[in-house]
This record gives sequence, C-alpha cells and structure tokens, in this order.
Amino acid sequence: MNKIATLDSPAAVAAPTSRQPVLSVSGGSKIYGGVHAIEGVDFDLYAGEVHALVGENGAGKSTLCKAVAGAIRLTSGTYCVDGHPVDFQSPRDALAAGICMVYQETSLVPTMTAAQNIELGNEKLLTRFSTLNIQAQQLLQSLNFQVDPAIPVALLGTAKRQMVEIARAIYNKARIIIFDEPTASLTPEEIIHFFNLVRDLRARGVAIIYISHALEESLKISDRITVLRDGKLVITAKTSEMTREKLVRYMVGREITQTYYAREGAKERHHRAEKVLVVENVTMGAVVKNMSFSVYAGEVVGIAGLIGSGRTEIAKIIFGALKRNLINGGMIYLRGKPVRYRVPKQAINDGIGYVTEDRKQNGFFETMRIDDNIYLSKLATKAGFTFLLSSAARNKVASYWIERLKIAALQRKARIVELSGGNQQKVVIAKSLAQDPSIIIFDEPTRGVDVGTIPEIHAQIRRLADEGKAVVVISSYLPEILAVSDRVLVARLGRIVAEFDGATATEDRIMYAAIH
Amino acid sequence: MATVIAAAPGKAAPWRGLNKLSQEQVVGVITVVLLIVFAVALPGFATTQNILGLIRSISILGILGLGMGLVVISRGIDLSEIALMACPWAIALIAIDRGLPSFWAAVLALVLAAGIGAVNGVMVAFIEAPALFVTLATTLAIYGAAYWIAPVYVVYANHAAPELLFFGHASVLGIPMPIFVFAAAALVMHAFLSCTSIGRFIYAQGDNPDTARLSGIALRPQTVLEHVLVAVFAWLAGLVWIGQTGSMQTNIVINGTQIFDVILVVVLGGISLVGGRGGVFSVVVGCALIGTLLNAFTIMDVNSEVQNIIRGIVLLLAIIVDNWLHPRDEETARQGD
Repeated sequence: MNKIATLDSPAAVAAPTSRQPVLSVSGGSKIYGGVHAIEGVDFDLYAGEVHALVGENGAGKSTLCKAVAGAIRLTSGTYCVDGHPVDFQSPRDALAAGICMVYQETSLVPTMTAAQNIELGNEKLLTRFSTLNIQAQQLLQSLNFQVDPAIPVALLGTAKRQMVEIARAIYNKARIIIFDEPTASLTPEEIIHFFNLVRDLRARGVAIIYISHALEESLKISDRITVLRDGKLVITAKTSEMTREKLVRYMVGREITQTYYAREGAKERHHRAEKVLVVENVTMGAVVKNMSFSVYAGEVVGIAGLIGSGRTEIAKIIFGALKRNLINGGMIYLRGKPVRYRVPKQAINDGIGYVTEDRKQNGFFETMRIDDNIYLSKLATKAGFTFLLSSAARNKVASYWIERLKIAALQRKARIVELSGGNQQKVVIAKSLAQDPSIIIFDEPTRGVDVGTIPEIHAQIRRLADEGKAVVVISSYLPEILAVSDRVLVARLGRIVAEFDGATATEDRIMYAAIH
Repeated sequence: MATVIAAAPGKAAPWRGLNKLSQEQVVGVITVVLLIVFAVALPGFATTQNILGLIRSISILGILGLGMGLVVISRGIDLSEIALMACPWAIALIAIDRGLPSFWAAVLALVLAAGIGAVNGVMVAFIEAPALFVTLATTLAIYGAAYWIAPVYVVYANHAAPELLFFGHASVLGIPMPIFVFAAAALVMHAFLSCTSIGRFIYAQGDNPDTARLSGIALRPQTVLEHVLVAVFAWLAGLVWIGQTGSMQTNIVINGTQIFDVILVVVLGGISLVGGRGGVFSVVVGCALIGTLLNAFTIMDVNSEVQNIIRGIVLLLAIIVDNWLHPRDEETARQGD
C-alpha cells in the first residue's frame, strides 16, 4: 500500500476509481427530533487519501463523522467498510474495525503517562511499566514523535498531546483516522509539523478524514474535498480543482464579500474621544502578567494572540468573572475611577458588557425562549429590574434586538437551541446589548458562526463603535481582527507585546508579534 | 453486526408526538386514567368523602414538595426539609407548654426554621459546599438539638392552643382546611415563579448557573433566599401536621421515609434534578398520582412493604420516562455539530 502515495502528487492518489474504497456511506441520513442533521449523504474514502470535509456549522460534518466513528447510528442509509455493510453499536466496534476519531477536545487521561494513555483500553491484566514504556517509545520513534512516554500527559503541550492521540490511534491499528479541527489550538510551527505528520500517515496507507474551519488548511493538505451544506452533499471534488473562493461559494450557496471598514488614524480620534477604560499592570497568577492597555469611546480595539496568551482572562478580569491578584494585581480604571469587581453583576451595573467565547457553556439559557433570554438579562441590571414581569416590556426589548441584529427566528417564542449557530450567537450578543453597556468586550464573536453571518456580526460591532461605545474584540481569527479593528493589540504570555494602527496592521506583522 | 441499517424513519413516527408532551402532562394523564379505573373498580373510591380525604392526605406532602420543587428548579436540593418541619415546631410546642402564647410560638418556629434555612443557604452559596452534604449535616444537627431540648419523640400540642390546630383539623364549607392551605401555597408559589423576575432568575440559575452569573444575576443571595423559602414551606407543612395529628413527632426526621416521598413527588411531576424545568403544576400532579395510588392501596388493603416497593418502582419509571422523552444526549450531540 505504501507505494501508491507520493508526497508531491496527491492528485495521483486521488482518483482510484478502480479500487475499492475502504469506507463508503451512501444515502446516509440522521434525524434528530424530526430534523435531518444529514440527509442522503454519499461519502467515500480510499486508503492513502486525505479527504477534507468542509461546511458551515450545522452543515453535518460532525454528524457524518460521528456516524462513521460509531458514536451515533445513521437513521437510514448504507455504511460499508471494505465493501461490507456494517452497523456499529459503539465507538469500540468502529475501533475494532480500524476506525479512530481524534477529537477536538483531546480525550486523554491527564494524570496518566503518555505510554499508559497509548495503551488505554487495551491493558493486559498485569502490565510492566518498563515494557510498556519501551513499546511506547518504539512506537513514538517510528512515528518521529519527540515525546517522552513516561511523562504524565497533563505536563505535555497541546501539540504533543495530539501526537500521543495519533500514536494511540496507530497502536490500535487504525486504518482510518478522523481529525476534527486538529489545528485549532496549535501554533503555526506546530501546524507545519502536524501537516508533515498527516502526509506521513498518508504515505503509510492510512485513510484520513480531515475537518477544519480553516479552508486554507483543507486546500493545502487534502487530496479530495467534500462540501456539505444544510446536511446535504454539495460536491465532492479533487482538491486541485478547488479554490478558496469556490469552496466558500459551495459552502454558503452565494457570494460572500469581506468588508473592511474605513478608519481614521488613532491619534485624531483619541484627541476627541474619552478614555473609557484603562488597564494598568493587571496581573493574575501566571496567566496575566502586567497587562496594560486603554480603550477609548467610539473605537474598536482588537486583541489578537494565541490561546493561553491571557486575552480571554483579561476580559473576564475586567468583567468581574475572574479576580486579579489582591496584592500587586494592578489597577483597572473605568472613566478614571479605580474599580475591582467581585461578581459580573457589579460590572454590568457599571455599564460593562461581555459576550462569551463559549456560548454553549455559558452563553444562554437552553430551556428558555429567545425573547425570555433577552428580557432576562435586561431584568438582571439595576436599571432594567422590575419585580413583576411584563410581557409588554419583554416583547419590546426582544423585538428591538431581534430586528436590529436580524435574528432569523420563525417566531420569538422558539427555543434558542432550535436556532443555527449564527443566530444563537446573535441572541447571546443581544443578551449583552440589552443591558445597555457602554463598554462591550466580544470574545471570539464569530466562533462557530456560519460564514454568511460573520459579516453581519462585524457590521453590528462597527455600529456600536459608531454609536460612541467602546468596543474590544478578542479573536484568534486574524482576518476578523483586521476587518473590524481601529487599533490592534497583540497579547503574548500574559502581556500586550505590540500595538498596531488598524490601517497599517497586517496578518504577518500580528502573527510575528504573537509568537516571537 | 453486518446488517444494512433499516431505512425506516417512519417506524418511530407514532411516538414522535409524545415528545411534545411534557412529563407533567404525561403524569397528569396517567393520574386521570388511574382515577377512572379505581372509580369503576373500587367500591367506595369515588365518594366525595374519599376524594376529600385523598387530597387532605397529600396536602402536607404537597406543601413540602412546593418548597423542595423551588430549590430543585434552581439545581439545588434540601434534604433537611423534614427536620425543618419537625424540630422548630417541637420546640415551639414545648414553649407553649411553658406558657408562651401560641401565636408567638408559631413565630418562634418560623424564625428558627428560617434561620436554619439561612444557614443552609450561606453554607451552600458562600462556602460553596455541596447542598446535598450541607443539608444532610444540618438535618442531623437540628434533630440532635431538638432532641436535646425536648427528649421525647412525640411532643403533644397543648389543648390550650386550639387556634394552632385550626389549619390542620378544621373544615370550612365541608372542605378540610389542609386543602385550602395547600391550594393557597400552590397559588402563591405559582405566582412567584411565573410572574416575578426573581422567579425567572431561579429558573435561570437552574438552567445554567454560569450563564446566570455572567448575565448579572446575584446567585449567592438568591441561593440563600431559596433555602429560607424551603424552610418557610416546611414551617407551613408543620402547622398543618400539628393540626392533623395534634402533635409533632421528631423521630420522623431520622426514621421516616418522608424526605424520599417529597423528592418523589417533585421528580415525578417533571421538576428535573438537572434544574430549570417543571413548576408548581409538576408538584400538584406528582402529589395527585402518589395520593391516588396510596388511597387505592389503602382501600385494597395492600400492606406497607408492597406499597414501598410500588413507590420505588414509580420513581424509577418516572426517571426512565423522563430520559426517554427528553434524550439529552442526542440534543447535545446535535448542538455540537
């Protein structure tokens, strides 16, 4: 099998029509609560091929992969491995057939060593650690992974954990590996290394399904690309015939243009505007160290930086959701007045808003209707509180924000979980804006949002600044930072290490500052 | 393993409509069906006297269930509710014996109960100890303290305090007072939960405490309030209890299975232990189902061991039905897409 794969010409591998696919799904459908998550999807995968799966959130990528990996069962359709129909009851069955999914959130046991994790689920009754470590070492070396098998996984970085996951997949004799957003938390260097690894696996004849939000990555690494939209198959094509523009068009079904907002120089603006928020030497443990910056009314400040740079933490400190060090913790001034919040409620009453980076975790109330979600956060403010509920007040605030943010809901009585990712995010934004903040911090405002909705959210962010509010946007997606920001700050290792004017910032310069 | 997956989404279709039924509606329907079956099959069941007796018998359970329901909606639990009902009242009855007027004795019981409730709340909210253990510990502490003050298992109400007995003993227009008390408590609770913002905040806390905190809801004072309200409902239940039995038994705190019955009616009616779901109606239908079963068993002369077994099975069935109607895994799986 090894001989068919050559690194330079993936296309040569990509169209093996004569051979039998190692995996094929035909007419695959999965219904959740009456709604098709995927509908009649055909998908196939050949040995020694990287097959990228792209689509917006909710397009059905994860559902398809979960079905392939045995985590869920298809409602209808045929699923064949090596030409034989299969019906996996659990991921274990799929694993036995050589199918392994490497999840977004790594599924390793942090307190166990790398070697133990690799063997996890296949332990013999008695294990000798020395033998285990030697075996693991051999495996890791054969894969060219620089990981010490005797180190607990908790002490390894994200990239190395991923290596352990992959080693585990190989140990389990996986012939088909599914990567779900593998590069989300890797640094650029680590991504390059990871790509080499994927190519290496491909050369060994492993079939790979690759899911990523970053279209550039899919274009770079894959042999074929399948686009899903609204649970249906749009196209499966050779990567060599694809471009980014074409992909976006297939994904969204229409043209998307990225709007960059015109800005004046920071100096003139700051001359007029009020300095609303000053963060001075704020320190929290080892995560945020002497972070300093300020935000003016009427501007959008973008904060870029890798995961772990302290950008989310500083937002939560300002908002009162995290506490900075009591001694030498630095100062935060709100319109010149020093503040230190114990709970978010105090920050909200002072006019600070925070739009969470993880809406499923702490963005909305899933049992409640859209309008109740919005009304409730207004009630939670000092100005908006009334003891008795009023449906007139609820309708008023809910319709205003539903209209202003163009939340596409059939009815505002719909439960929020029935909405698409983009509309959910808009409700989360509405929840915060309904509290009438004068400083708004957006943390990853378009994470998990459909491509088509992203420009709408950017327009809303700009509109807030134009209305004279101070806006902070934290994002790992650089085009987003560049699109909305008047000023760009770069965080690294808990500090602000660089500042650019929005007009002069480029992706390269920001990235350079973020990692050096 | 080697079979083609059946292409029959239609097979599940007849049940799909049931998904739209909430658990309380399902329990309500079952109760009505049982009522009809028992009315036809059991002589003496469908008499006014028996039905009034049935409702009267579940009034105390219902009042306790309202308090427990409130705290469970907020994703908490309060195992000390029976202790909060029995012990302050036991002390109050002894105070009446020593000459305290019955009104002030009732106030004393209320203050004691609410005070302990506040301690529960502070421990849970500010010290962030798990509610399960805090309230288990206070149960023992309250029981110990009450027994220390009143070293008898049954404290009888003094006959000089007839006004205390009114709420449990008397009848108005032929309807026993406990029914009025339960109905009033249910109405007040319903108004609180569905018409006030604090009621909505309690649902919000149960739905997602993290979101509630980030939305600016003051969770800690709210948690204290919830535990104080549980104590107030326990106090009210104790008032009815004294009227019905003419005494307060402190040994029910550790001997009885009362607290399990309270959790049973709460969960049965659809106030899910994950929080944020259900309401007053859940408690009412849960009580109605349990009351109907117990009443029918009494008429059929089923012994108490069998009754316990059936109660246990009903609770298990309620949990299974809840899981089956709301497959949370698939829902979350879909969100993760």
